[in-house]
Amino acid sequence: MSAIELYLTLGVAVFLLSLHGLMTLHDPIRRLIAVNLMGAGTFLVMVSLAKRSAVPDPVLHALVVTGLVVAISATAFALRLIIAASKHDEENSEDSEQP
Amino acid sequence: MNFALISLAVPLFAGLLLLLCGHALKTRTTGFLAIASTVVSLAAAWFALQTVANAGASIMLDLGGWETGLAIRLRLSSLSALLLLFTALMHLLIGLYAGFSRQGIARDFWHLSCFLHGSLAALWLSADLFNLYITLELLGLTAVAMVALSGKKAYRPAANYLILSLAASLFYLLGVALLYGRYGELDVLLLAPRTEADVITRLALLLMTTGLMLKAALWPLHLWLPAAHASAPTAVSALLSGLVVKGPLFILWVLWSEVAPPALAQQIGPVLGIAGMIALTAGGLSAMRSPYIKTLVAYSTVAQLGYALMALGLLLTWQLPQMHIALWLFVIAHGLAKASLFLAAGEMQSTLGTRRVDGLRGATQTVPVAMFAFAVAGGSLIGLPPSGGFLAKWVLLEPLLSEPGNWPWAIGVLLGTLVSAAYIFRVVALAFDRARINPPDTRTGRAGHWLALLPALMVWGMALSGEWLIQLLAGGGV
Repeated sequence: MSAIELYLTLGVAVFLLSLHGLMTLHDPIRRLIAVNLMGAGTFLVMVSLAKRSAVPDPVLHALVVTGLVVAISATAFALRLIIAASKHDEENSEDSEQP
Repeated sequence: MNFALISLAVPLFAGLLLLLCGHALKTRTTGFLAIASTVVSLAAAWFALQTVANAGASIMLDLGGWETGLAIRLRLSSLSALLLLFTALMHLLIGLYAGFSRQGIARDFWHLSCFLHGSLAALWLSADLFNLYITLELLGLTAVAMVALSGKKAYRPAANYLILSLAASLFYLLGVALLYGRYGELDVLLLAPRTEADVITRLALLLMTTGLMLKAALWPLHLWLPAAHASAPTAVSALLSGLVVKGPLFILWVLWSEVAPPALAQQIGPVLGIAGMIALTAGGLSAMRSPYIKTLVAYSTVAQLGYALMALGLLLTWQLPQMHIALWLFVIAHGLAKASLFLAAGEMQSTLGTRRVDGLRGATQTVPVAMFAFAVAGGSLIGLPPSGGFLAKWVLLEPLLSEPGNWPWAIGVLLGTLVSAAYIFRVVALAFDRARINPPDTRTGRAGHWLALLPALMVWGMALSGEWLIQLLAGGGV
């Protein structure tokens, strides 16, 4: 098994493990981390595919960079939503405790 | 092609402008600017359609003047021009509703709807797998932001929607990476003649299909849709159900009818067709049992997407161009009818002060216009002639009925029709129960009720322009 094949397998394994996490976990922050790891697995596959030729393929690198930008902004947005949602849930549970 | 670019760029720049300067303007001015940009985009889309109809073939544009292979190309086909027109029309109708209905809408709705319009337009024009990924992400992020507009109680469904949408995009992206690794191409037209039915291609197509089916809420990956669509503000629900789920469906169509080798497409076709048939019945039954008005309408989206999925499946199985016409007629008829259904449901909810279907008793007396809109749009979903839904269903059924071997599919369609009739008539029958009326809020304006009726009338008008639509789509759309 060459180094590239090893990294490809690792990328797919990370993708599948985090998919399992996404499907079994309930806490929204954990699920978000699982999605981010799925992204990491995908990017690992892309970067190792780029390394197959002597000169690394710039197209795949460009795709990874674009994908990272999307992943970061989406994660920030998701964190903000999750925090706001849990604050709202806390307020509601306090309201119901004081009738 | 320039007109198509105008149709794409105007809402995009209007969205940016409203985002940056929106807080200095009054909400009314913001709404006016957004609607004006939609009108310009609509006119441009109309001229783009004329151009491509005159040219007789799809027009390619290499952005930035790079040579083929390096450029990220845009493609204007007669189908994408029609979808541009449809998107702008839907935004116009829903924008008018959002501007004039008494419920009002958050100021942020306007720039987000402009962004949504821009990303959909970009999606219809893209002919590059990675570009399609970007538009898919833009669409998903904007849609989530719009769900969150309805306030704190929608944050939880919005967050769940976002996480699922991101996971679905990553499935798609991994598929794109595998295809690029195998063929070294991302451009759909360059990739199409080179694909072979080997293991990597199968795996990539399977991953991409899973992601897209999750995004388009196609059965069995539809479970997120009712929560997300029902918790959004009314105008947003209409946009999400009418337009946003059609984006991934378009990519699915591009993927299987162009990129995938025909041998593989013929294998997946029956699977998609059967999933569509199950969606029709399962979604319809859930709609029938739903206690809330908006959830009923949202489940009906799941059911109606079953028709589109079935048309796609049969298109792939038999490689029959007629199914292509049926597919896109369904998309357009469903978009208009569903917009009307959601707007009418929202108006009835706020006037009658209830979210439950039971609260609609006597609605024919208390909110006659909104109820009429609901029933008329529902008629198109059932497929009553001469509505757009009937037109689409007729085109779908014709080849199914002519061959005795195809009758099982026809039975699926008829069963779906029966179930849609059941959930629409459940609401309509309650509305005629004038013995125990739910009293309405009489102090309010009724402009929104009439604006909810407008898309429903248009979907019935579709039958009048049916021949034109069919001829336009008969070109194969590519």
